[in-house]
Amino acid sequence: MKRFTAYSLRVVLYLFLVAPLLLFVAYAFSTRWFFPQPFPVEWTMTTFQRALNDSRTLSSMAQGLWIASLVSILSLLLALPAARVLGLRKFRGRQLAWLLLFLPTVIPPLAIGMGLNILFLRIGLAGTIAGVVLVHIIPTLPYTIFTLSSSFARFDENYEFQALALGASPRQIFLKVTLRMMTPSLVVATLFAFLISWSQYLLTLLIGGGQIITLPILLFSAASGGNPSTIAILSLLFVAPPVLVIAFTARQLNQHGNEIREQY
Amino acid sequence: MTTVNIISLNKTYPNQSAPVLKDFSLSINDGEVIALLGPSGSGKSTLLKLITGIERPDSGDIQFDGSSILNIEPNKRGAVLMFQKSYLFPFLNVEDNIGFGLKVQGASLETIRAEVKRMLDLIGLPGIERRKSGQLSGGEAQRVALARALVTNPKLLLLDEPLSSLDTSVRMNLQEAIRNIQRELGVTTIFVTHDIGEAMAMSDRMALLLNGEVVALDKPENLFHRPRSLAAAKFMGVSTFLSGDQLPVKCEVTKGSSPKIFAIRPEHIRVQKDGCENSMPGVVSDCVFRGEYVEYQVTMDTMIVRARMSMPASMFPHGERVFVKFPREYLFEVQN
Repeated sequence: MKRFTAYSLRVVLYLFLVAPLLLFVAYAFSTRWFFPQPFPVEWTMTTFQRALNDSRTLSSMAQGLWIASLVSILSLLLALPAARVLGLRKFRGRQLAWLLLFLPTVIPPLAIGMGLNILFLRIGLAGTIAGVVLVHIIPTLPYTIFTLSSSFARFDENYEFQALALGASPRQIFLKVTLRMMTPSLVVATLFAFLISWSQYLLTLLIGGGQIITLPILLFSAASGGNPSTIAILSLLFVAPPVLVIAFTARQLNQHGNEIREQY
Repeated sequence: MTTVNIISLNKTYPNQSAPVLKDFSLSINDGEVIALLGPSGSGKSTLLKLITGIERPDSGDIQFDGSSILNIEPNKRGAVLMFQKSYLFPFLNVEDNIGFGLKVQGASLETIRAEVKRMLDLIGLPGIERRKSGQLSGGEAQRVALARALVTNPKLLLLDEPLSSLDTSVRMNLQEAIRNIQRELGVTTIFVTHDIGEAMAMSDRMALLLNGEVVALDKPENLFHRPRSLAAAKFMGVSTFLSGDQLPVKCEVTKGSSPKIFAIRPEHIRVQKDGCENSMPGVVSDCVFRGEYVEYQVTMDTMIVRARMSMPASMFPHGERVFVKFPREYLFEVQN
């Protein structure tokens, strides 16, 4: 009985997660689906192909990928040293540092975006990729720092001392020991940064000012336009990279996590 | 291979008032094993950190073969470290773990493979190159850690309580293994432990550390039988100290400003039913059967005496009146 409950709960959960996607698929690959029919009457690839051939769709995806990749790399570079200090050291003002780094998660992005818009306009960053990348780092940084610092808190520096005594240079220690030990959480942190940037609408709109078009921007304008097929196609394109990335990394992460855990 | 001179090291950690090491000096001969013995907080681990270069001393010098190593980069010093935990890199297999030191120093793959094989034979675990570090038992992991440390042909081997997390049987086994490997390679070694038995079994000389100072440095047998100072004697398990006028035996007692203190090891004290020459009366307050010996606690006029007699020894009931004998040849003088 217990197993049956667990099983049916799982089915409900999966349905809950997959049902909207199925609806999108139905809309994206069909034409003329009107009220009384339970399923689309006519299935077709043409709407999908038309959307894919639209240069705006492709360029917005490319731009979004490019921005999200830059944001991931930059926020990792910024987060790694900060997370190390926050995770491994006790110092005066540590709580304050945490608070400051976490402020972006509680302050509404609209407030940040409006304020920065004026500044960025003055220094010429508004409407540029650089500006959008910089402003995306604000919401990604707290998550990357948090992910990395919690795994630094469990990190034992004696691994590094061991490598040092065995003759490794600081650079070798960082590349061959620290980064390797941190790999699982580095992957998770990159994922966070990537997904937050990829799905960012408001900050892209405010700082990009219509010059920088990413997929969420297209999607929002399509949503107000009201063509269900276009909305469905753009939505599918929007969820595809995250779903693929998670599907590929989850397995590998799990294995790696087990290996690390065996040591403790 | 290497003689090590540690000269008047001083180290105080920031935000701490008491120094961890006070004017610490120690000379270690080539190929010698020195055991550093002391309670936690006595500065043992700090000394190892100073030698490896993880920390810097406030003053003093550390010399390998007469030349200072303080200005040499930590990774170029040739002092390798082995901890209580093996710290094998979890993402590498046994071969890559052992070969790590050679690899970062730029050795060729063939050299690494050959050396790893030689080390695995030496530690008595041939053929486990492909195993993951998570698949090793505690004892095996420590052997691999030892191999990883020794494969770089270090000048000095530092062992920081490498056996204290292991079961007794594995531990005995590894004590022997480490001792044999050390003798075979002749590498100068500092062995940190808080286990007196282990220190005596493993070392050529033992250094007792208390509050950042060496209070005694001698061969294990000398330190065990004739510790010179009160602190050293207490550390070596002596609990009976008699000032001159408490002695039943009137041996060379000089009435002076500072009365002499004599000590005796618990296993040399005799507890017996009948009084005889050089014995004093007391009441048994505890008597414990330990298998190989019997432990007595006898309350006397001025003190409580703990004695230990090897089997066969008689058991005394609680409250029994007995005589305690301090054989004159086993009494030795200690400095306060």
